[in-house]
Amino acid sequence: MKILKKLVVFLVVSSIFLVTQAYGGEKSILFHAGLGQRGALNEIKTIFEKKNPDIKVNFSYKGSGYFIADISRSKQGDLYMPGEEFYLMQAVERGFLTDYNPKTDIPAYFVTVIITPKGNPKNITRIEDFAKPGVRVGLGNPKSCAIGIWDEKTFKKAGIWDKVKENTVMSAKCIPELGNATQHRAIDATIVWATTAVLYLRDVEIIPIEQKYRGIIKLPVGVLNFARYKEEAHKLMDFILSNEGRTIFHKHAYAINPVIPVDKQGFCLDGTTDNDMEYLVNAAEAVKDDSFPVNKETVGHLVGEVLRQKKTIRAGD
Amino acid sequence: MALKSRGGWWPCICVGTVGIILIVYLLLVTSNWIYLGWHDTLYFFSRSRMWERFWLTVWTATVSTSFSLLIGIPAGYALSRFRFPCRYLVASIIDLPIVVSPAVIGAFLFGITTRFPFDWISEYYGVYIGRNVYGVLLVQFTVTAAFCARLMKASFDMIPVRFESVSHSLGASPFRTFFKVVLPMAKNGIIASMIVVWARAAAEWEGLMLFVGATEGKTDIMPFAIYLDWNGGMMGWVTSMSIVCMLMAISAISAMKIIGGRSNVW
Repeated sequence: MKILKKLVVFLVVSSIFLVTQAYGGEKSILFHAGLGQRGALNEIKTIFEKKNPDIKVNFSYKGSGYFIADISRSKQGDLYMPGEEFYLMQAVERGFLTDYNPKTDIPAYFVTVIITPKGNPKNITRIEDFAKPGVRVGLGNPKSCAIGIWDEKTFKKAGIWDKVKENTVMSAKCIPELGNATQHRAIDATIVWATTAVLYLRDVEIIPIEQKYRGIIKLPVGVLNFARYKEEAHKLMDFILSNEGRTIFHKHAYAINPVIPVDKQGFCLDGTTDNDMEYLVNAAEAVKDDSFPVNKETVGHLVGEVLRQKKTIRAGD
Repeated sequence: MALKSRGGWWPCICVGTVGIILIVYLLLVTSNWIYLGWHDTLYFFSRSRMWERFWLTVWTATVSTSFSLLIGIPAGYALSRFRFPCRYLVASIIDLPIVVSPAVIGAFLFGITTRFPFDWISEYYGVYIGRNVYGVLLVQFTVTAAFCARLMKASFDMIPVRFESVSHSLGASPFRTFFKVVLPMAKNGIIASMIVVWARAAAEWEGLMLFVGATEGKTDIMPFAIYLDWNGGMMGWVTSMSIVCMLMAISAISAMKIIGGRSNVW
């Protein structure tokens, strides 16, 4: 009896609390963003909300593959930033997003790198080494993540696709799986984005890919047609595309050069991203070795990320 | 009622199995904890982010459990006592959310809330239904309400109908009988079931992933946060939060045992 009375009182109180919370009167943008962009976008949200106190940003982080189902059914959401241009084009094709401009709406790029477990046990130094017998290779599943498509493209270009397929022991559904597998030594080598590699500085070795096999992947952002807060969404998008926004992406190992010359397939044509790659390799060194100096000259824009990972043995923030 | 064991191979095997299970669980926790290390344990456990998520998990699970109980107790009683047409069919339909994956429930909720009249409400008030903490509560409630009704039915089934008949014959109304006779007798069962329902709500995340999506600090209850951090390569957070979840489960179960909620459910 007593329990029931308490329960009813509790319910009444909590319902009142919930209802009063529901209509705060502030504008909250619904932002569909790929899980991989979480680190950079959370930082952007914090700064943006400080600048615009009347706008709140609500993320709906999911794997990029989930979004098109969500959007086409719910017709909800203001901003859209999936992990690859391909997913954004799906929205463009269905008419959910009309004013996408592939020249200007790219705040950042992914760059492909090789990662191996700490110590590089199989001595992987270039793409061709993936075909060596006995190397356990991890690939992405092209049906569910963009890295899978790039794996196939890269190894086909190198002419070793069949041999690599024989070496493959893992087909990942999403790119963090590859990072985690490398960290726990389940595979000997894999290709990931630099932004993924930078999350595992303590436990992996990072090997830059030579220019002709180095993939550059566009990361687009767009305002959806059915956005409720169009003006606010555009404001946030402009902030993401501003220099300040791009710098935040750079801190998380995205490439942000406004123009990166690429061939038709998306492979690098010159050394625009070489500096970033060098910093990335140094960063991995700096986290593992305490005597390695951490400053702008050695690890460049990755200082914050290196310091974050040096704080604890197991990564957190 | 403890049976005095007098040797023999069968009791040995049974006790041995319990021992093995215990060892495996202990190994899981300790190996994770060793992986995390003492320095990191202190670091992560002292971060406010950890405890914000912890409280978010606790209060959402508590609120949704309360709503589940409000539905589950009368529904369980009805299923246990009353005969109505298509009773078995109804009982099976009510069991559905227990059997189907929470992901399916997430997808269904998604389908409902984006259609009439909810799309209209959402448009009119300018809110996105289910993209915030109410979505979390809704998912937890939908998943646990049926579960709750089922457990309550089991609790009420344990109480002989005779007591109610006596109460009726002495002139008490069904309402009075329920609150004065049945409910106090079912108290232990209800408390025990409550903890199970609460734990189920606190562990829900598949439905959340499909229906709600994650906003840091607003909708990422513990299990969801573990998934997110796993994707972010933050093994420190993953391991420390798993340990907190484990401790939370152990304390919930112990609390229930101390309160005295023993019944056929446990």
